[in-house]
Amino acid sequence: MSEYGLTISGPEQETVSEVTIENYSLSCMLRALWAVVKRELIIFIRYPTWVVAIFIWPVLFPLPYIFGGKALAGPNQVGMVTFSRLTGMSDYVGFVAIGSLLWMWMNMVLWSFGNHLRNEQVRGTLESNWLSPLPRIFLLAGAGISNCLIQSAVIFISLLEFYLFLGVKIQGNPLLILLVLLFIIPSIYGIGLLFASLVIWAKEVNTMVFLVRGIMMIFCGVSFPLTVMPEWMQVVSKWIPITYGIRAFRLAYLTKKGFEAIKGDLLILGIFGLIFFILGILAFALSERFVKRKGTLGVY
Amino acid sequence: MSKNLQIQLRAMAGMFRRDYKIFFRYPMNAIFRIVEPVAWLTPIYFMGKGFAINGENVGFAAYTGNGDYMAFIILGVILSSYVSAVLWGIGYSLKQQMDIGVLESNWLTPIPRITHLIGQTLFNVLITTLNSIGVALIIWLLFGFELNFEKILLAILTALPMIIAIYGFGFGFAALVMLMRDANTLVDTGNFIINLLSGANFPITVLPRFLLVVSLSIPLTYGYDAIRGMLLGTRTVLPIHQEQMILVVFMGAMVVLGVLVFKWLERRCKKLGTIGMH
Repeated sequence: MSEYGLTISGPEQETVSEVTIENYSLSCMLRALWAVVKRELIIFIRYPTWVVAIFIWPVLFPLPYIFGGKALAGPNQVGMVTFSRLTGMSDYVGFVAIGSLLWMWMNMVLWSFGNHLRNEQVRGTLESNWLSPLPRIFLLAGAGISNCLIQSAVIFISLLEFYLFLGVKIQGNPLLILLVLLFIIPSIYGIGLLFASLVIWAKEVNTMVFLVRGIMMIFCGVSFPLTVMPEWMQVVSKWIPITYGIRAFRLAYLTKKGFEAIKGDLLILGIFGLIFFILGILAFALSERFVKRKGTLGVY
Repeated sequence: MSKNLQIQLRAMAGMFRRDYKIFFRYPMNAIFRIVEPVAWLTPIYFMGKGFAINGENVGFAAYTGNGDYMAFIILGVILSSYVSAVLWGIGYSLKQQMDIGVLESNWLTPIPRITHLIGQTLFNVLITTLNSIGVALIIWLLFGFELNFEKILLAILTALPMIIAIYGFGFGFAALVMLMRDANTLVDTGNFIINLLSGANFPITVLPRFLLVVSLSIPLTYGYDAIRGMLLGTRTVLPIHQEQMILVVFMGAMVVLGVLVFKWLERRCKKLGTIGMH
């Protein structure tokens, strides 16, 4: 047996054994995974506009809401009385900045990681990549890891810019903030995984991104206190993990309330993360079977 | 009508049909485009409630002279959706054709490139119009408002030079997309900054002084301001007829500039040979 899985048993007879993933060691798979990560990072920095995504968007996105809030508060800050009463916070800028940071994170995960398979489908490289003897989930995991690395940079730069340009200061414990971020990751990437799997057969990326981020914008309290919504809408918001992520992150970042105030949110985030990851892997397996059966893997 | 113009109109109709087919080929997308504005308006509505005192936006009224925050925002959303339709229609469509690999072959057809750029926005603008009518209808059903057709007609006439000027801007913008080859970020950022600084979502008087200067140098600002002044009776930066004059001058300047920039960059892309790349 050669390293390519060929068995030559005589000049007359030649059989080619099926190349399966069992023929490949874990180190081979990890090398392939790293190649995907590297490729995605190269593609990301190949377009000079990556600078805009990392440095400009974080501070740009919250501005309409911040200026909108300023207009609603009025020249003599009369509207802030209501806002402070509803949120328990007097820093509207920080409130919106943190909410929008998580919204942007989810949004970018959907567009890049969630859209990864569809992008390859459009470019016509998905089928050839999937023919490589590697678990398909590894190809998607590579995109997820590269996205996570990029997003880590974006979050760090965003928080720095919030401080420099918007005057949003850390009030809580930095380690607690880091802990909240770690608890948010499984939920966000679990949703991304589920999304990427559905997009491959639904083929309607824009709609699905708008739908998911629209739901988040309405129900998760990105720019307003949840308590102003009708009761039924508040019930819906409780079923979305990002709601807990935003609340925990705000409490950890903008207040000194400490671990006690956020432990409930972290527990719920952990449970949601696990559920979404399992759902994402199942959806991916189902989508894989679906496109194989239908033969629509290479169809744009 | 000259034969040349007839051919160009036929080509634009062809592009319209192509976009129409693509749009309805993805039915979920088509449905969602109709309800999309709701996703943007709902958080803004709740934001207003988060600052209201006894249901009234007293603070907002102090800035604008009118406490109807929702009406102020809806007008901004409708107008800015036309700006978006043109920019996305021109910029994103170019990039999409680059990705799929049909841009070069499309551009080899004996049709002026500017016609291509205009043609690929038409369907988007139609959908935006239907969207705007839908949003206005929903708001009318929910909150009710007075329909003064004379005022609406005047507002449309004021908006027209503004939209044509955006087309001019879009031509120059398309050239930038061809050079940078990343339409998403460019269109998204460009569109966002224009809307932010021209006061689509808030009265520009809340801006810090250095941004207010920039805002007042963008003619779109006067478009939003004049139309709101006409329909809502808000305080305007300048007298409305002066703002309308600014828009007409802006229209002429932007169309000429946009075409010149696009032609120059098109020649450059031809030299570099990058039209077929993505």
